[in-house]
Amino acid sequence: MENNNKYWKGLEELNNDAAFAARKKNEFAEGIPLEEVLSESDGDLSSTRRDFLKYFGFSISAVALAACNTAPVKNAIPYIVKPENITPGIPNWYATTCGACASGCSILVKTREGRPVKIEGSDNANAFNKGGVCATGHASLLGLYDNERLRAPKSGNADATWDAVDKDIKGSLASAKNIRLITSTINSPTTKKAISEFTAKYQSTKTITYEAVSYNGLIEANKQAFGKAVVPSYKFDKAQVIVSFGADFLGTWISPVEFTKQWVSNRKAENKAMSRHIQFESNLSLTGSNADMRFPIRPSAEGVVLISLYNKIAALAGAPTLATAGNIELALNAIELTAKELYNAKGNSIVVSGSNNIDNQLLVAAINSMLGNIGTTIDIDNPSNQAGGDDASFETFVNDMNSGSVDAVVFYNTNPAYSYYNAEKFKTGLKKVALSISTNASTDETGELCKYQTPDNHYLESWGDAEPKAGYFALIQPTISNVFTTRQAQTSLLTWAGNTTDYYTYLKQNWVGSVVASESEFNQALHDGFIRKTTAEAKSYSNAAALVGLVNPAYSNYNNAKGKTELKLYQKVAIGDGTHANNPWLQEMPDPISKVCWDNYIAIGKVTADKYKLKDGDVANVKVGNVTIEKLPVLVQPGQANDTVSIAVGYGHSKGKVAVSGKNVYSFANFSNGSFGYMSTDVTIEKASGDYELAQTQTHHTIEGRNLLREASLAEYIKDPKAGNHFHTHIVSLWEEYDYKGHKWGMAIDMNACTGCGACVVSCNAENNVPVVGRKEVIRGREMHWIRIDRYFSFKDSKGEVTTKEKELAKKGDDVNYENVRVTYQPMMCQHCGHAPCESVCPVLATVHSSEGLNQMAYNRCVGTRYCANNCPYKVRRFNWFKYRSNDEYDFNMNNDLGRMVINPDVTVRSRGVMEKCSFCVQRIQAGKLKAKIENRIMVDGDVKTACQQSCPADALVFGDMNDKNSEISKLFKNERSYVLLEEYNVQPSVTYLTKVRNVDDVIAGDHAVEHNKEEKHEEKKEEAVEHHS
Amino acid sequence: MSYESPVRDLLVTGGKTYSDITVDITRPIENKPSKAWWIGFAISTVVLAVWIYATTYTMLVGIGAWGLNKTVGWAFDITNFVFWVGIGHAGTLISAVLLLFRQKWRMSINRSAEAMTIFAVICAASFIVSHMGRPWVAYWPIPLPNAFGSLWVNFNSPLVWDVFAISTYFSVSLVFWYVGLIPDIATVRDRATSAVRKFWYGFFAMGWTGSTRTWHRYEMISLILAGISTPLVLSVHSIVSMDFATSLVPGWHTTIFPPYFVAGAIFSGFGMVLTLLVIGREVLNQKHYITVEHLDAMCRVVMVTGTMVGVAYITEFFVAAYSGVEYEQYAFINRATGPYWWAYWTMMSCNLLAPQVFWLRWARTTPWFIFMMSIIVNIGMWFERFVIIVTSLHRDFIPSSWTMYTPTLTEISILIGSFGLFFFLYFLFCRYLPTINMAELKSIVLTPHAKELQEKYTNMLEKGPVKQGEKAEKGELTHGH
Repeated sequence: MENNNKYWKGLEELNNDAAFAARKKNEFAEGIPLEEVLSESDGDLSSTRRDFLKYFGFSISAVALAACNTAPVKNAIPYIVKPENITPGIPNWYATTCGACASGCSILVKTREGRPVKIEGSDNANAFNKGGVCATGHASLLGLYDNERLRAPKSGNADATWDAVDKDIKGSLASAKNIRLITSTINSPTTKKAISEFTAKYQSTKTITYEAVSYNGLIEANKQAFGKAVVPSYKFDKAQVIVSFGADFLGTWISPVEFTKQWVSNRKAENKAMSRHIQFESNLSLTGSNADMRFPIRPSAEGVVLISLYNKIAALAGAPTLATAGNIELALNAIELTAKELYNAKGNSIVVSGSNNIDNQLLVAAINSMLGNIGTTIDIDNPSNQAGGDDASFETFVNDMNSGSVDAVVFYNTNPAYSYYNAEKFKTGLKKVALSISTNASTDETGELCKYQTPDNHYLESWGDAEPKAGYFALIQPTISNVFTTRQAQTSLLTWAGNTTDYYTYLKQNWVGSVVASESEFNQALHDGFIRKTTAEAKSYSNAAALVGLVNPAYSNYNNAKGKTELKLYQKVAIGDGTHANNPWLQEMPDPISKVCWDNYIAIGKVTADKYKLKDGDVANVKVGNVTIEKLPVLVQPGQANDTVSIAVGYGHSKGKVAVSGKNVYSFANFSNGSFGYMSTDVTIEKASGDYELAQTQTHHTIEGRNLLREASLAEYIKDPKAGNHFHTHIVSLWEEYDYKGHKWGMAIDMNACTGCGACVVSCNAENNVPVVGRKEVIRGREMHWIRIDRYFSFKDSKGEVTTKEKELAKKGDDVNYENVRVTYQPMMCQHCGHAPCESVCPVLATVHSSEGLNQMAYNRCVGTRYCANNCPYKVRRFNWFKYRSNDEYDFNMNNDLGRMVINPDVTVRSRGVMEKCSFCVQRIQAGKLKAKIENRIMVDGDVKTACQQSCPADALVFGDMNDKNSEISKLFKNERSYVLLEEYNVQPSVTYLTKVRNVDDVIAGDHAVEHNKEEKHEEKKEEAVEHHS
Repeated sequence: MSYESPVRDLLVTGGKTYSDITVDITRPIENKPSKAWWIGFAISTVVLAVWIYATTYTMLVGIGAWGLNKTVGWAFDITNFVFWVGIGHAGTLISAVLLLFRQKWRMSINRSAEAMTIFAVICAASFIVSHMGRPWVAYWPIPLPNAFGSLWVNFNSPLVWDVFAISTYFSVSLVFWYVGLIPDIATVRDRATSAVRKFWYGFFAMGWTGSTRTWHRYEMISLILAGISTPLVLSVHSIVSMDFATSLVPGWHTTIFPPYFVAGAIFSGFGMVLTLLVIGREVLNQKHYITVEHLDAMCRVVMVTGTMVGVAYITEFFVAAYSGVEYEQYAFINRATGPYWWAYWTMMSCNLLAPQVFWLRWARTTPWFIFMMSIIVNIGMWFERFVIIVTSLHRDFIPSSWTMYTPTLTEISILIGSFGLFFFLYFLFCRYLPTINMAELKSIVLTPHAKELQEKYTNMLEKGPVKQGEKAEKGELTHGH
């Protein structure tokens, strides 16, 4: 039956208008006609495959074209009138002599477009520094661009013209009756001549050598003992046994680069013989840290230890001994042992002391003379002119000033108002002098008080000469025209003496005839940087001084100090006596021992620190006599002798933006017994309120038992050249290795040679435009150095067990000998891994591998995720946390136009937010390649030297092509001592390390190595079957 | 279509009708905001301002504004990034995985959980950009054609995988969330009285008519998106974990990371959902929709995933010991006993120990306690990332480089500020969008009519098995309000 009823759902349906009909049509889903679409053939689709390709192609090319904005073109503007000898982009090199200190190393200066940008050691094989330059030398380049240098002479506080100043000075000098010329050590023959001319004109002139850190004691002792008031020439390379009493000859003493070269030449394990180096000292010095044996002594004990050593050697030699006035306690039969070593190597040994005490130096002279070392390892006939000091005369001068008897004084390259122990007395005296002139380059503490400041040129702007060692005549030539209206001090003296010859002519006149025979010889010397003359034969001398009188004072010094805490003032490798304290590169160079930058501090041993309840980060007031210095930061320093503290001089200037850091402790020095003394037994230390964080670049000091430092004793090495170096892995790689068809660059680092001096760090800073970041940033762990020298301590307990683990040390507590530590240095830079972990993680390919094995950074591409740095197992990558140039927060050399002149134009200055790291000096590699290409030859070993390698005073770094089978680097990679760090991770570093070999009787590599050796031999037989083994 | 267990407790209580649902859920949108909302929003805005200031400051001066150093290249930045990405996971899990598994209890919470996902991913993404040294070139890790020669991204780098993973995740989540919102936006549109509201809700409702055809499309797209999202739940955090796992830093280089990170992400995500909902159900008066049973279910997830990460922590130790690699062993000993031991033990107690209380039913059904626990879980999971990142980096292979890391005020401000960003967005969401999916909820509500039917069928059930629920629900579904 049909149902006629009509049901509707709503009125809309009943009306069924058009709108409703449309909606109704859409009410129910039609389903997606997927099957239909898939089953149909291509042609029936509304868009065809061709259409798809067309649109696809169009979109891709449209996007690509849209992205094609041209990269900006920057034009370099050429010289309109090109100066002679300057080709943009091509450096000019000048041979000259380093003027940073009196050591007078021969150097080469690289200039680009008229600007000196780098200092390197002279490549001349006859140079006494043999290509080495120290950190200070490298950094002295930046001194040229010191923004605080005086722009022009000053009369009082006002700028003046040279003519006006000269007129005034000449007038005053003419009427002066008592003139003094205070200089640092002068070893320049022509400067001496200029001074003599000045003295001839103004006859009341007396020249006094003043050194902040004086060698008066040494000179005076040699005068008394051998009749010659000289600093001898030392030959550490000839010595089989080296005994040093606090002389930091690898770091700061007399001529450290020269001595390092000598010292290291006799420390090569491959020769199967090494010198034995014994150090007695209070503070852990760079030299002490490299010694085979080191005995901590109190400064006051040096005299009695020397007497005791003298007696022991005398006993062995059958010579008369000195009477003694008591016993001394020194662990491990140190003196007995040292005496034996010295005596067995008599004639081939050397004893030196860093003391400025005449008595101690007399004893040293006597010991050397008794051992027959004078004439063999110590040359008195061809002395060194690299150090000086006439303390008594300076003392008299200060008294004379105060009594008003001096009416004119000229300061040349010296700053007593800062460095004299009684600066107030000096300043009071100076105010009484009618005419005072400072020739220092900037307004320092002394210059500030002088009536006239006649700023000297920087040595890189000057003509000059030097005779650092007898018979070694070196020339200084300008590498840039004067940056400011300065005039070199010699010209000033000559001008005031009425001689207007320009200094170049004056110099040449002085040389031709006396040093060189002709002008062409002069030019040759200028080209070479120096000329060596035949020297006198070194003769043997016997001690002529009486020693008996030394015994009682020595013993009373020793006995009086018992139970007291003693102070020793020392120089840090970077800052030295403070002359270069305004140099940010040096301030930021980590101290080799403490890794502290930017500050001096109380270095105190753990036992002593516990006694005073002091710890790292504390501050303490130190009182010596009636001088108190407040709130000196405390650093608990392993290796510091018990009951002694050491504080570095050279810090805390009142002038100089950078030099003000730290505290000036020269006021703790004294004048006694005819010499300045740098120690005291009258010390009070008390903890002060507050704290002070020191900027340390390394805050963990032990290796935690990790297999990263490999060492052996010489005996072990002779028995088995692989001693200590048996851990190697055979790793199977999943990937095919890249075939390096051309070059493959690599570096070898001899840990046995590296002394940790830090010259490479500053050299790298200069070469690679590494920014200075300042104390606060270093505290935050953000120093930018591309190369660092890791320094590790290992400690022994009372049983002689060696500990390198933090937790074990804590457990052992007082059983650990913190006074005597073993130190290992490990230079660390980008290892240029073959399988670089940094490369694979960079999202934007900003760090990639070159076909020559370099791990390269494309700064422009870096987005700054820092993933690469996290994944670097060596932690050598450095991030630009801030904009470090042209930023007032980082007001160092990169924040002023003058300071930026030091920038190496071959290396990009990095922007903030990008990662950077060692590039193996890729710009030098490129320069080497181009040179070879221009000369139409293939590259040879030695064509490329990295900045760190070039001037390493210890030749610890070797760079080269590993694909060149005959290169030194290839040989070193095959050396038995060679190992790479973290070999088991198969990152395949291009840097290899050579084990450290110590000339000690201890077992270092140990039985473990021997066992390993057996194991290895055993396994070698079935090597084919073995893939993994460790 | 689905089999409804008659013994299952009601998912919506209080005898709510369809109309009640609409009125209840749209109340915060249609009325003036409450005092509580204003206070919350004001605080969030202030904290957001702190975030803007600190982030801008960092971008202006450089990453140096943070406490990072040569050894610790990531710390708060990536900790926060992973933390926020992890938070996001619960939303996706709830909306996608539970949808596929037909877990209907998700219907009350998925909307806010998805919103949370999106806001959390926005927070996370902010760290991707702000942690870069040069944020103005933040687009470089995206493979774009360019005029600089053969410059391309490094497809080997986990950071590039991250870029793909996070951007996919964000876009899929956003679309999923938006699609789910359309019927509800349409409801708000239909109820709107002002022209402005009508326009904007109408605009975003995309012409929703409620026809069967649109419903059909809606359900289809929901299923497809759920299908796409589900692998993302696993893949996104796996890829994030590969930032660490593929490196060779001891403590990072661990194959267990992907599953462990996913479990951790769900753990932290549910923690955050609980934080939001325990408060939300009180303030927005939604106790009948987000019942204690919902909380209970989520607490169970928290307990299970918390235990999973706990097992992972312990496994890491075992693997380190078993590997015989000294660097690996040291990394883990250092975590537990080194200078950052407190961070490690915070993590352990918050993530492994604390959630064990959820074995107790009381703990799972007491809102104030759950809220407290959810905060603990959030803290614990933040510390987990901090521990992984900082303790692994600060002492790795070469002891000379070992350092300590201390955050600066800027970093702390950015961390706190990111919560400001998150809650700022969340408060706006509560104000302008329905926080519960009304349309879906109506499919599970027991209306008086449905109840009548259910009773009838239950009586019948005693006589024999009968397919349930079809008529009771279907009849009403198409007539949304």
